Amino acid sequence: MLKTTRQAVLAGAALIAFGFAADAGAQQTVKIGAVYPLSGNSASTGNYAKMAFEMGADIINNGDPELAKIFPLAKGGGLPGLKGAKIQMVIADNQGTPQAGANQTLRLITEEKVAALICCYQSAITVTASAVAEKYGVPFLNAESVAANLTERGFKWFFRTTPVAADFATAYLSFLKEQKAAGKKVDSIAIVHENTEYGNSVSSVISDAFTKGGLSVSMKVPYGANGPDVQPQVLQLKEKNPDVVIFISYTQDAILYAKTMKELNWKPAILIADDGGFNDPAFTKQMGPVTEGLISRSVFAQGKPGSVAAMMDALYKKKTGGDGLDDVSARVLQGFFVVADAINRAGSVEPAKVQAALKATDLKPDQLIAGYDGVKFDDKGQNILASTLVTQLKSSNYVAVWPKARATDPLVLPYKGW
Amino acid sequence: MNARRIVPLALLVLALIYPVLTMESAVYQRMGALVLLAAIGASAWNIVGGYAGQVSVGHAVFFGIGAYSSVVAFVHVGLPPIVGAPLGVAVSVGLAALIGVPTLRLSGHYFSMATIAVGELVRVMVSTSDFLGGAQGLGGPPMPRTVLDLSFLSAMPYYYIFLVVLGVVLGVTWGIERGRMGFYLRAIKDSERAARSLGVSAGRYKLYAYMLSAGFASVAGSLYLCMFGFIDPESGFGILLSVKMVVMAALGGAGQLFGPLVGALILVPLEELSNSYLGGQGAGITYVVYGAIIVMIARFLPSGLLSLFERKPAPVKPTEPTSAAEGGHAD
Repeated sequence: MLKTTRQAVLAGAALIAFGFAADAGAQQTVKIGAVYPLSGNSASTGNYAKMAFEMGADIINNGDPELAKIFPLAKGGGLPGLKGAKIQMVIADNQGTPQAGANQTLRLITEEKVAALICCYQSAITVTASAVAEKYGVPFLNAESVAANLTERGFKWFFRTTPVAADFATAYLSFLKEQKAAGKKVDSIAIVHENTEYGNSVSSVISDAFTKGGLSVSMKVPYGANGPDVQPQVLQLKEKNPDVVIFISYTQDAILYAKTMKELNWKPAILIADDGGFNDPAFTKQMGPVTEGLISRSVFAQGKPGSVAAMMDALYKKKTGGDGLDDVSARVLQGFFVVADAINRAGSVEPAKVQAALKATDLKPDQLIAGYDGVKFDDKGQNILASTLVTQLKSSNYVAVWPKARATDPLVLPYKGW
Repeated sequence: MNARRIVPLALLVLALIYPVLTMESAVYQRMGALVLLAAIGASAWNIVGGYAGQVSVGHAVFFGIGAYSSVVAFVHVGLPPIVGAPLGVAVSVGLAALIGVPTLRLSGHYFSMATIAVGELVRVMVSTSDFLGGAQGLGGPPMPRTVLDLSFLSAMPYYYIFLVVLGVVLGVTWGIERGRMGFYLRAIKDSERAARSLGVSAGRYKLYAYMLSAGFASVAGSLYLCMFGFIDPESGFGILLSVKMVVMAALGGAGQLFGPLVGALILVPLEELSNSYLGGQGAGITYVVYGAIIVMIARFLPSGLLSLFERKPAPVKPTEPTSAAEGGHAD
């Protein structure tokens, strides 16, 4: 009895010693920091982002045999460029305030010693947090803030993968011009937008881009968000009967517009909804059946079966328990893999080497989760290949219909509605 | 030298060498600066809210004006942000006079409600103003051009700047507290009607306190802008900012010189540490812990933490300890 116990203890000790030795020999951990809104107004988005990060780290650390066939970083066993170092995500809460964002960024840099940062969803927080990273000289990747001036600050450590508002406007412009060339009528265009910052700024970016590109916006209908009734606006549209209507609205208004247009029995030939409320699962679930053929934009579309995007989407559904990747979570996950790829190529966690590797990033579309033309940064740190897909609502699901090269379904016009 | 002198002196020395003690940890060094910044805002509030008893829940207005004046000095004129601070003070004091004249006539909750309304009004107006960057906000100098931009890597310079400013705010408050105005304000707080009947010009002194308080709150805003380099309507005029000033002062002891500083010394580290250690889990535990501690203090020390150290009046000994007197209720 005594003997067996002693043997067991010895064996145990040997195992532990061996385990430690193995750990010390081969592995090291690469910490990547992420500062996202885990509480406050955007907590839901932040928590979906957190799941995307955890899934990304899991893919690199533990691998996925199916995905590994087309996606080299999914082989498992950590980052090959760093002798199999595992990735550890250190996620902090920015509480939706620029102050907390900057404070947490400082903590991740100085206490957690992260090799790089991915941050912060809200543009306002990205401003203060990236300023801290810039002062410390730590690579900082932003995956989803669209404020144009973020890349105009002369920062050396700032990289942004997402397209900005002007890119979305350009996408609509090219899309509509293509329709015009194909013989569709796009002569009169109306923009209906909610009248605070979001609606006003997007609306002016779109109309500027259209005017420069040779399409003119013939009417603008601003309205107060979350109002009880949008009949006056829809009647105004019905009277002028434009060929194309572009909506910039939050969820509740999006639902109201869809209902009211059906009640008043009016629809344009092309109905575009700029992301926002019309992409919310609450909208597609409730209003999908009466908005068949609605056009929107998203950087994410499931893509063809067997593609990186489709397989990541399936993994994400498993992670979240049903919710697939969407416009935001796809951008977040893409940001994560851009950073992981750069650290892997740098073969080091030294900031200057990671920065150099980020600058040299050149990812091809077939390696991407988001529907960009690639990832390649200019001198300001903006991804010059960032672009968006035009999607269309079919049977309550958005599918990619433009550009043709990445379309999974044919475009169906005119707008069907109900 | 007795203990009553040694303790404050030791605390002062500690305050002076704190950044040196925390050289190793940027996070703790920065936390020291954040405590002082919060203490400046809360001490400013204390002048009108604590001493005069006029509970303003819209003090973020002045904080925001200070921050925006600084950023405007940079964005529209190209000056170092801190140059905008005097402008912020002037605008804040002027606005305080403008708001104060009609609203300080209101008593009790109505004054608080009026200040909330003004705060929200200004926030909405700023978020639709192109000149002030709308809802997106404005950024200070991305990279420091000269030392005057007050943009530093280390928190140490901020710490000492904030310490000096806090010293000035507390010094002025101390002067008021001991002078005639202090007596007037306390009299107004206890009973405005009684104070008036004794010849105190209550309206005028409340207004002075409000204007002074506004000016200091504006300085806090300008300093915030220098440190964080960015302001938007929510972080400049958000109601949570106003509430934090009130909570900090109340927690430490409203109407006491060091009350707001004590409140800031507890709340700021609590907020930062709870977010650092609990925030990453994403369940919002930070605010639960934060709120629970505030509730505990409010329940057990309603006059603030400093009330612990007050000299309590000697307990009145019952002359005839009968069972009825012990069981009875004093009030």
